[in-house]
Amino acid sequence: MPKIEVNESLFFKLLGKKMDAASLEAILPNAKAELDAWDDSSTDIDERTIKIELNDTNRPDLWSTAGLARQLRVRETGEVPSYPFFVPLGESRKTTYTVIVDESVRKVRPYLAGFVARGPAISDAMLKDFIQTQEKLTWNYGRKRRSVSIGLYRPSIIAWPVHFRGADPDKESFVPLQETRNMTLRQILAEHPKGKEYGFILQDEAVHPLLLDDKDRVLSYPPIINSADLGAVLVGDQDLFIEVTGTEYPSVSLTASILACDLADMGFNIENVEVQYPYDTPFGRRVVFPGYFQPEMSAGIEETKKLLGMDMSTEEARQAAQRMGSRTRIEGDRIVIKPAEYRNDFLHPVDLIEDILMGMGMDKFPPEKPHDFTIGRLSPMEELSRKAKLSFVGMGYQEMIYNYLGGRREYIDKMGIEPGSVVKISNPMSESFEYLRNSPLPGLLGTESVSSKAPYPHRIFEIGKVALFDEAENYGIATRQYAGFLSSHAQADYNETASHAATLLFYLGKEYAVREAQDCRFIPGRQAELLLAGKRVGIFGEIHPAVLEAFGITMPCAGGEIDLDLLLN
Amino acid sequence: MDAISVAKTLHPLEVRILLAYEPGSEIDGEILRSQLHFREGQENQTFSWLLAKGLIEEQGRTQSLFFELTALGREYADKGIPERRIFNFISKKGAARLPELAQELGLDQKTVGSAFGILSKEGALGMNEEKKASLLPGAVFPERMEKLGALIARALAADGILEEACLDAESLELVKSVAKKRGAQDAPFRVAERERVVYRLSQATAEQRQILKSLGVTGEELGALTPAMLESGAWKKGSFRPYNIGVTPARTIPGRKNPYVEFLESVKDKLVSLGFEEFDGNMVETEFWNSDALFMPQFHSARDIHDVYSIEKPSMAKFIEEPHLSKVAAAHENGGDTGSRGWNYHFDRDFTRRLILRSQGTVLSARQLPTAKVPGKYFGIVRCFRYDKVDATHLSDFYQTEGIVLGEDVNLRTLLGFLEMFAVEVAGAKEVKYVPGYFPFTEPSVEVHIKHPVLGWFELGGSGIFRPEVTKSLGIDVPVLAWGLGIDRMALMALGLNDLRELFSPDLESVRLRRALQ
Repeated sequence: MPKIEVNESLFFKLLGKKMDAASLEAILPNAKAELDAWDDSSTDIDERTIKIELNDTNRPDLWSTAGLARQLRVRETGEVPSYPFFVPLGESRKTTYTVIVDESVRKVRPYLAGFVARGPAISDAMLKDFIQTQEKLTWNYGRKRRSVSIGLYRPSIIAWPVHFRGADPDKESFVPLQETRNMTLRQILAEHPKGKEYGFILQDEAVHPLLLDDKDRVLSYPPIINSADLGAVLVGDQDLFIEVTGTEYPSVSLTASILACDLADMGFNIENVEVQYPYDTPFGRRVVFPGYFQPEMSAGIEETKKLLGMDMSTEEARQAAQRMGSRTRIEGDRIVIKPAEYRNDFLHPVDLIEDILMGMGMDKFPPEKPHDFTIGRLSPMEELSRKAKLSFVGMGYQEMIYNYLGGRREYIDKMGIEPGSVVKISNPMSESFEYLRNSPLPGLLGTESVSSKAPYPHRIFEIGKVALFDEAENYGIATRQYAGFLSSHAQADYNETASHAATLLFYLGKEYAVREAQDCRFIPGRQAELLLAGKRVGIFGEIHPAVLEAFGITMPCAGGEIDLDLLLN
Repeated sequence: MDAISVAKTLHPLEVRILLAYEPGSEIDGEILRSQLHFREGQENQTFSWLLAKGLIEEQGRTQSLFFELTALGREYADKGIPERRIFNFISKKGAARLPELAQELGLDQKTVGSAFGILSKEGALGMNEEKKASLLPGAVFPERMEKLGALIARALAADGILEEACLDAESLELVKSVAKKRGAQDAPFRVAERERVVYRLSQATAEQRQILKSLGVTGEELGALTPAMLESGAWKKGSFRPYNIGVTPARTIPGRKNPYVEFLESVKDKLVSLGFEEFDGNMVETEFWNSDALFMPQFHSARDIHDVYSIEKPSMAKFIEEPHLSKVAAAHENGGDTGSRGWNYHFDRDFTRRLILRSQGTVLSARQLPTAKVPGKYFGIVRCFRYDKVDATHLSDFYQTEGIVLGEDVNLRTLLGFLEMFAVEVAGAKEVKYVPGYFPFTEPSVEVHIKHPVLGWFELGGSGIFRPEVTKSLGIDVPVLAWGLGIDRMALMALGLNDLRELFSPDLESVRLRRALQ
């Protein structure tokens, strides 16, 4: 969930009024936002920022000062702002600026959108905000620049038209931002900080994308880095050329739309850019940006009332939908919307219905007690586990609970078992959490290894899950409920643990037999498998001193484990 | 403590002293042993009790020596001192070489040497020309040695102890000559020092005597009730000594449930009481059930390689159940028959089989849907796995509490009704607040914040109505409410902890001493 920092004065200017923390907190839920922190008055008024957390990952338009202010403003006034520079999909418009896309980028980064913004000199706060928006959009919405990346330029020093084409990473070179030397694309990926960070996107590609002006001067190397010559924007600049490239056209286009609306809200005039393709795109071969491409969405009043559990008129519902920024109308018993230019999050009528809810406000919906009668019950396994637990507690055992992820040392090496018998994670975060346990015994022995100062006798047990390889399962791995138990004191031995196993099974109502076992975790000749109708359901015995030594335990231990799933069936 | 309470806490040994001696009397251990038949050790313990109560005061202490028979001394008492045995041997069997004597008598050569020295000095034995020890003419056994033998016998009769004060000057000199303070194992006596402490009964004992007499306490009261007393009925003839109930009782180590598990069980019981049926499932799941079935697009940023744990081997499920696979894939690609536009991308049917550790309890809700009853309410408190750095607020595996409600009854307002029920019944909240939330698989979505009596305002959970892309793809046509509760903060509070790692602590003593729910 993205967190953004908004400049306090810029935010209030765009919101149209000032607010204190309490009243801001009260309206932030209208944007699914939460107040995180607010610089106090010790910070200079122009520098003061408000930290806000945004919860809706489908509303990237809210991840900027202008976008958040817009949502809150529209929600309050019901006035939908007008952005006349949008060109509906499929319509042509004569533009001053053109980008010509070459066939050679089709495979690696096929789509581009862009526009030019002219307006007031860019302030420090605006530039900071813009860079933050760019980061949030490309990181969260653009999947770390994979599907969306953004570049900013000064249009006046560019020789138009701009060209977007493929390049041989070993042959072409330019001076990237934060550098003074000419570097090949390959060098940039290997040596430049941004190249190292985002190089993974291009590393397997033979042809890399490059944006150049008509004099063949490099603007940028999307999605990695801009050029130091034509790709630098500074405080005080009045004109901007903004391009968005990526692999998924609606996201690319929406990103350009969001940036255009933000700049328009801050007083810029937006001018269109036409992008020409030699190949078909979802939006055609000649596309003008910013473009309006979102289809209409509608919801019937009856389904709206049913989902929200509340009576309302069609007009009430329409007005509520409009307060979320969309253009609305009524057709019969349906509310129809043209989504706001900066939104593309209507996949299903329920998304519109949620907008209606948001536009009305959650406080308009009093909770209602549910009517349906259902019978509650614990799972049969939980019932069985609780019975087993009662027996263990009655025999003087303390219940323990452990994590299920662990390291090779505890689960395998110390237990002296085969590595192949424990489920392994292929992308562990650390060596300590690399395996999913196959037994409760390592946890119990872990307790013994750290509890030698606790008064003896120790009698401990755990009832919990283990994962076992099982070829018969679709996943090849079965989850089982196990009871593990361990007694540790100077006289702990086979007889004691056998007696406890017998007591447990007696009270669970199970007739069992025992058979000699050969499990290296236990002392040979002092271990027994538990058999239920001839089937092995568990094992108990004296823990092998080699295991105790590996765990650093100097007190005899006897115990075992029982598969409760097998007892249940 | 007043005098009567003091009297009630007196031990029978104390009572016997107080009743036997007038205030001002002087007593010591020897007196108690001989007159009141105290056993060794009892007197010192009783003195310390009486001192603590101010009933006696120390009058003075004197040091005295005593001599204690060693193991060797006891052997001498049994077989005779070496001098006597050598003298007798030679008297009967004639002259003998010293090594021969040592062998015959089972003595070491050094002992034989020194005994011969003493006997020859006393004029009893001499060494003849054959280098044999032989009786000198007219020799008798020396009187001094005779006396030593007698003293050893006397010591044996007196529990192995000879008191300095009970010996005349000659005997004392004799005993001292064969006694050692250290390394006494090769001497018949060990010298030791004893301190005799004399106590005087204080004036306060007058009142105690009075009270004891008026209460009829004799010091002969019954101690522990024994099976023998019950069989013989002896208990009827006496009264029971009252015990001091102010003493801290000994520690008992009981069998116990783990308090965290007990907390989880209490939440389960609450949910069952609200009509929910428990479900459970596999820890290892597929991308399909963990995310695809929940309509999270495969390109979603939360599905990156470093957000879920994947399984090394096997890495893929053999198959995904139909028709779920096809319907879910269609919902992703173009909405299928769910009324949705879909995410508009190519659904990867290999990726969806990838095996991972379940990262959210909602997996179980999705899995439950195809076979769920309508109306139906389900819940699970299950272990989930997250790619998080483990610290006080993050665990790599932890419990999530999740559930669903199916039925025509389900809408936004009944959803709020359920959240209110959870807030009040499960969390004990006094105030409840609802704000719009966001989850990829629900629309609308609501977060519930509660004011907890101790923790203050916090987010108790999230919920929403499953998107039709989720429910319709799994064959459900009624609305389904999905909810999740964050109960770990309440668990920490209930257990008096502030670090999530403590919930799974392996330390036995800390778990033993952890209190259960208040």
